[in-house]
Amino acid sequence: MPLLDATLAAFGLLFAGDAALWRIVWVSLKTSVAGLLLAAPPAVVLGYLVASHRFRGRRLVIWLTQASLSLPTVLIGLLLYLMLSRQGPLGSLHWLFSQSGIVAGQCLIAIPVLLAFTLAAVQAADPRYAETAIGHGASPWRTMTTVLYEVRFGVMAAVISGFGRVISEVGCALMVGGNIAGETRTITTAIALETSKGEFAQGIALGIVLVAVALAMNGALMLVQGDAHSARGRP
Amino acid sequence: MNALLMIGRLRKAHGERVIYDIADFTLDESSAYVLTGMNGAGKTTLLRTLAGLEKSEATSLLYRGDLLQLAPYPQRLRSEVVYVHQDPVMFSTSVAANIGYGLVSRGMARDDIARRVEMAMVWAGVIHLRKANPASLSGGEKQRIALARAKVMEPKLLLLDEPTANLDGAAREQVIALIPALTGAGTTVVMACHDRDLIGLPGMRRLKLRDGDLIYRFN
Repeated sequence: MPLLDATLAAFGLLFAGDAALWRIVWVSLKTSVAGLLLAAPPAVVLGYLVASHRFRGRRLVIWLTQASLSLPTVLIGLLLYLMLSRQGPLGSLHWLFSQSGIVAGQCLIAIPVLLAFTLAAVQAADPRYAETAIGHGASPWRTMTTVLYEVRFGVMAAVISGFGRVISEVGCALMVGGNIAGETRTITTAIALETSKGEFAQGIALGIVLVAVALAMNGALMLVQGDAHSARGRP
Repeated sequence: MNALLMIGRLRKAHGERVIYDIADFTLDESSAYVLTGMNGAGKTTLLRTLAGLEKSEATSLLYRGDLLQLAPYPQRLRSEVVYVHQDPVMFSTSVAANIGYGLVSRGMARDDIARRVEMAMVWAGVIHLRKANPASLSGGEKQRIALARAKVMEPKLLLLDEPTANLDGAAREQVIALIPALTGAGTTVVMACHDRDLIGLPGMRRLKLRDGDLIYRFN
């Protein structure tokens, strides 16, 4: 049975410490975390500002943010490819087919997710938090950090969703990274390549890693939320 | 007695509906007021306007002798006016940190904050709750902590929105017992309420919102 054989071979690769496989995992994690770290601060701040301020064009910003959630990552990859290609406006950076290019792509992909989730979390927050902070002399910055702390589980969910989106995307990493072995080959681009070659074992092994990462991230969030609820005496 | 705040023609409307249209009113320094009126008369809106949390139109605003504007809400008022919600929220930190929140915003030294917070906790009778999780507090405890959080700020104007509305029994009595100590000492208190025991506290002046106007006062 090919699927069973491939799965057994996948576990073999994982437990044997296959260097090429773990290099792919490392590149994926490194570029995803770097992209997320670059995207999170501006996106969370922007999400808070859009949620807590009324200004002309606010609805347009929210609409565009939510619409960009369903933007195919391959389109972001195409736009970034054109920007980073030798004739493009950012060609002098020489980021095309490099990990830096993938990080830039992951950052662009993560921003709408982080922004939309933060916006929703802050909009759902009890307005008395901000009012109490302002009413007790807090600066706009302190008011923001106070409110974001109160909605920290929503912000954490935003970060985890952003991470899930960037580590699982294939289009942008493939176009901007070029799927170069040992350099820009990520979990998803490797799965696509290995599958096209009929080599399922490595693809399945990488898929198992992806699932494990997703389970670990969401499990960590649930643990933190669970601790907070039990501290409040709620079930 | 010196005027703390004088506002000329204060008006608030939602579309066609006028919430209030007050010709002018004055709050004296170091005085205590109860603001009464029917449900929906605009008491909370008026307090929130004075706290800069709602927008209203005003033709003039004189604060401690200085001519200011109500909108945008002046930073000076922001640092000297404190508003306490009817059902106050606690930040997700310790009770002590909640009480010291405004003092941290002012950039006060840590030792001074600790000293003031300690005194405020004793005053509010919440010293035993120092390390309690604020989410587990009762309504009465939250209200007393909110009053302590406001008191440590030593505001010029303290606005209390029905501080006993959601309380009964001992919790209500405990909050009522704290109110007289908030007035005077440089603080003017305006308290929206229906509670006869609060209205009857010694030294309280009465303001009443009716039909959109502040129709009578006993000054």
